[in-house]
Amino acid sequence: MKSLARIWTIAMNTLREAVRNKLLYALLFFGVAVILAGVVLSALSYVESERILQDFGFAAIRLFSVAIAIFVGVTLIHREVERRTVYAILSKPLSRAEFLLGKYVGLLVTIWLQMAIMVVFFVAVSLVTGAPLDAGHAAAFALIAAELAVIVAVATFFSAFTTPMLASFFSIGIWALGHMTRDLRDIGASSISESVQSTTALIHRVMPDLESFNFATEAAHGLAFAASDVWLPLLYGVGYVSVLLVAAIGIFERRDLR
Amino acid sequence: MRDWIHSWHRYIVAVIAISLTAFAHSAMDTSAEDDLSRIFLPEAAHAQLWSLGFDTVLADYYWLQALQLVGGERGDTAQHIAMIGEMVELITTLDPWGGGPYRFAAIWMTDSKQSVRTANRLLERSIAHIPTDWRSRYYLGFNYFFYLEENGKAADAFEAALGLEGVPRYLGALAARLRMNEGGLEMAADFLAEFARTTSDDFTRVEYLKALDEVETERGARKLDAAREEYWRRHGEDIRDVHDLLRGPAPILTQLPPAHPHFDFPVWRIDEQSGQIVSSFYRSRYHLHRADHDEERRERWRSMQEPDARAS
Repeated sequence: MKSLARIWTIAMNTLREAVRNKLLYALLFFGVAVILAGVVLSALSYVESERILQDFGFAAIRLFSVAIAIFVGVTLIHREVERRTVYAILSKPLSRAEFLLGKYVGLLVTIWLQMAIMVVFFVAVSLVTGAPLDAGHAAAFALIAAELAVIVAVATFFSAFTTPMLASFFSIGIWALGHMTRDLRDIGASSISESVQSTTALIHRVMPDLESFNFATEAAHGLAFAASDVWLPLLYGVGYVSVLLVAAIGIFERRDLR
Repeated sequence: MRDWIHSWHRYIVAVIAISLTAFAHSAMDTSAEDDLSRIFLPEAAHAQLWSLGFDTVLADYYWLQALQLVGGERGDTAQHIAMIGEMVELITTLDPWGGGPYRFAAIWMTDSKQSVRTANRLLERSIAHIPTDWRSRYYLGFNYFFYLEENGKAADAFEAALGLEGVPRYLGALAARLRMNEGGLEMAADFLAEFARTTSDDFTRVEYLKALDEVETERGARKLDAAREEYWRRHGEDIRDVHDLLRGPAPILTQLPPAHPHFDFPVWRIDEQSGQIVSSFYRSRYHLHRADHDEERRERWRSMQEPDARAS
């Protein structure tokens, strides 16, 4: 219980620190701007303009939230080490695992808060333009939040042992690859080479399958969906985040911070 | 004073800079007409791979570009038809659940039978992804009927749309007329009877029953046609009136069939324009009605295809 309190203290501190980051506001501003720009772009189509508006809205929320998650997340540990505040913190009765988990939770709360702001704009624009909003949209937002949890975990993992530059490079790579693994697996499956088939299948299994969190198309089209379309990816996200955090803690505990 | 001059200088520089920018920009050729024909169209599979989960936004981008190709004064649309096909192929691969692009292709891709068949293939994809939308089946049926003149396939498409929400009530009757053209009156009657039996909408059922009445009347008209031919064979001349078929020592018919299955007031008469025996209730025979302007359009389309056919 005390451990949870310590994690929460670090998390709130990380949140306070993150909201002072001007990059967050710049990206949030552009995210909201793209959501609003969707109104103009959707008016160019004579059919399905509400869907186009929501496509742009979902894209803005996903893209800018991921950008914030990566660019703010990769500096998590490095900044503490660089400013030497990590030594003061870790000299307290606080384990490295608690410190890292606190950092993760703090950043995730920050990212979810900024996502909530964009969602408010998305909902407002949809209501004003008469675009439909239903359970599919709620499911899509929940899955975007899950994808962000995975991306923040990826950024935390890399920030535990490398520089912000490399961590952001790796995180962007993982994010891009995570959205390609299904297509890569399908392309690989049609290859005559067995090694290509097994390699692409392995990549699909090992890399985060971020397309499983992409429910924007279904929501924007109002397609029917089963509860398992939502809870299975959520469960997958929880599992993947846990694995990444355990690995990050393992690495961070062995890291020489001197 | 010195500060004022400095700020005054700054304003001058700003005004000159803005003027130069505005002048240079307005002097540039910023028309997108030429650029539109050079839109980069990636392979659909590659686009799906590299869109990184933003498939629908990419599809929306190409959809808006496709609209630019045919909208406004962008030159000859016919030049862009092949490109429209490729764009809709890409758009519907990235986002197969949007109905608009499929119908857009069906409307614009009508310059040749090849294009119509491509549009039909896209409409089939639409039906596979949005099976509850009657419009794709309607457009498919129209393409088969009007451009490809394949009435059986047109009837298949229209019949598949029956029962879907929003489908026009006349569609079943139209499908039956197409069936008649393809397989005869009895086939049309069978289909109408089946539609009337299975539909859940009372108003639509009335439409089918009305069409069945017309088919029944057509049966009578065909009986009179046969009698008219017999009259010609026997007397070497045509009838002047339908009642001629009942006259004489050996009349062809003992009585005329009813000119409507339910009403007594309609009578048979010879239509002055067509020379056909018609019921006064319907004033024309049961066939596929085509408006004159539609027939002219179809003729124009046929004549456009003939040079292609000769060339091939």
